[in-house]
Amino acid sequence: MRPVALSSSRRAPGPPAYLCAIVVVGLVAGIAQISVPPLAGANLAMAFLAAVFVSAALFGLGPGLTAAVAAGVTYNYLFLDPRLTFRIAHPADLVTFGVFLLAALIAGGLAGRVREQAWRAQAQARVTAALLEASRKLSAAPTQGEAARALADQIAAAAGGAVVVLTPQDGALRILAAPEGLDTLSDTNASLAEQVWETGVPTPPHEMSDWRFSRLEGVGGRIGVLGLRGVASARDERLLEALVQQGAAALERAGLAKAASENEALRRADELRSALLNSISHDLRTPLASVLGSATTLIEFDADLKPGVKRDLLQNIAQEARRLNRYVGDLLDMGRLEAGALRPKSEWTDVRDVANAAIARLPPDAARRVTRDFSRDLSKVRLDAALLEQSLFNVLENAASHGGEAGRIEVAAFEDLAHVLIAVDDDGPGIPAQALHMIFDRFKRLQGPSDRSGGLGLGLAIAKGFVEAMQGRIEAASPIVGDRGARIVISLPKTTPTPRDLL
Amino acid sequence: LSLHRPRILVIDDEPQIHRFLTPALEASGYEPAQALTAAAGLRDLAAHPSDAVILDLGLPDMDGKDLLLRARSFYQGPVIILSARDRELEKIAALDAGADDYVEKPFGVGELLARLRVALRRDPRRAEAPMRVQTGDLEIDLDLRLVRRGGGAVRLSPKEFELLARLVEAGGRVVTHRQLLTAVWGPAHEHDVQYLRVFVGQLRQKLEADPASPALIVTEPGVGYRFLAG
Repeated sequence: MRPVALSSSRRAPGPPAYLCAIVVVGLVAGIAQISVPPLAGANLAMAFLAAVFVSAALFGLGPGLTAAVAAGVTYNYLFLDPRLTFRIAHPADLVTFGVFLLAALIAGGLAGRVREQAWRAQAQARVTAALLEASRKLSAAPTQGEAARALADQIAAAAGGAVVVLTPQDGALRILAAPEGLDTLSDTNASLAEQVWETGVPTPPHEMSDWRFSRLEGVGGRIGVLGLRGVASARDERLLEALVQQGAAALERAGLAKAASENEALRRADELRSALLNSISHDLRTPLASVLGSATTLIEFDADLKPGVKRDLLQNIAQEARRLNRYVGDLLDMGRLEAGALRPKSEWTDVRDVANAAIARLPPDAARRVTRDFSRDLSKVRLDAALLEQSLFNVLENAASHGGEAGRIEVAAFEDLAHVLIAVDDDGPGIPAQALHMIFDRFKRLQGPSDRSGGLGLGLAIAKGFVEAMQGRIEAASPIVGDRGARIVISLPKTTPTPRDLL
Repeated sequence: LSLHRPRILVIDDEPQIHRFLTPALEASGYEPAQALTAAAGLRDLAAHPSDAVILDLGLPDMDGKDLLLRARSFYQGPVIILSARDRELEKIAALDAGADDYVEKPFGVGELLARLRVALRRDPRRAEAPMRVQTGDLEIDLDLRLVRRGGGAVRLSPKEFELLARLVEAGGRVVTHRQLLTAVWGPAHEHDVQYLRVFVGQLRQKLEADPASPALIVTEPGVGYRFLAG
């Protein structure tokens, strides 16, 4: 539905309406002349009254009265003796003429007034329709931008001219909606708008500016500034005012809705955070319970424990302390990623060195299961070796824990034209297809809560975060051999295909 | 000479917990048994008569309360719960469902073993609940409905006495708010924890050496109360 244009509303009837009224009277006079037998007396008067009535009903008060006068004059001139003069011979005709003229004027006046009332009602209905339409569009606008555009459209359609809507953003007024091609306001206009924003007083006509600015006021205070150009000030002032008020309300509502949805987002983030906190606290408490339980067992029953048992308890303490340390490291890494505090270095690096370093950090029984398949010649890439090592270590650890105790791990390093790639394969049970896309999510453990050996479920998420911080990508594929195995590939962009300074 | 070593079944899905609990229980003169899942625990409990059960609430295959309700159909001995502090509701539900006591993870083995000793001592199959308690200058005789302190009789209202009796009967085990409220005031008042605050406060005024830092009727925050004699 297009906005209803108020410019079609009827105002004072123009000269054509008056002419038409006279023509109608002339027409009736002509018909009266040529009809057989010619109309006379009361019939003739009735015909003229009908003409006056029609003119008034069609063209309004002014043309109606004009028709009445024209009918009186014509009646006198053509049909009262002496004919073709404006004189009246018989005194009785004088009375007839007077009564006729009075009746014609009253009929014309009444009918004309009814007509004009109908016009006013129509105009009012159009204003109402325009406001309803504007209100519908404005209240449907989900954002401030769309509310501003809807307001500009409605005003432009209702009153013509150009509309600009400005709202404050980051301490300055910025354009939220403007006609095509208008991106910025001139300095004069901008400072006028700023002045209106501060004072609330609409700008008087200004010799340097053809914009008229006024402040948009909402229930909770000022919202923005509206600029109008080329809008006739006298025309439809009330409609304009109503539209502006509605627009201000819509802008305010959209602003509040935005604030509400931001609150909602914060609330969700809070919920997520507390869920994570619960999960973390459980994961941290389990190794703590082992450490505390083993240590207190050693303290309480020192003399009663066999040497093998003591050693096992001490090993338990050491293992669980390492596990705790790893969790804390993971949490710190994740914290750095989430805080956006990561500033990766960019140094020429041979990824084979990094891969070897990561493999060397694995526990000995896991490191023994690793085979290497590195290209003899491999381009160096610019990256942060420490971040890549941690990413690779996390990927390797994941492969070691999910590939099973005896599972083999293969680490390959190779390159294509634009990337250096590192692939880590395991021959474990693989990753279900529906889980493949979430293995890099935080706290995602595929085997459910009983699988606590795998850590916090942060390792792959950290790997992804680190690799992406170095403009690399990380992907997973499974199965890779038959229906088993998983492969995680880290791909790192070569800054230049062959770094000249290093060859 | 056959010395009975009480059999203690530990149901916990963390192997590391068994790793220290098993030698600790052995060294304390118990015969430990291990189960890593709720299902295995129920099977073991049905197959072997156990003197006490230590149950972790965070089992992956069954809610701790459900396990307890199933176990209670054929096992009436003491159950001590291992639980994390953040799983308060689960813990209270388990206590209301018939667990005898709880220990929060992480815990020292000394604490767990002390709770275990209390639970075994108070096992109704092994001994009658004590009807007489003497601690310091305080003397409580539940049969005679008599409370004496420093030789003089302490006047308790009927509700105060009922409340004290329930706590003393538990013999060092925790009694939940709900258990106390339903026993003393009736099931309609099982949520009126404020009654307990008032009446426990009055009991402390009359019985504790220092009511401000109670040593006799101890609060277990959010869970219930415990009567510690001696």
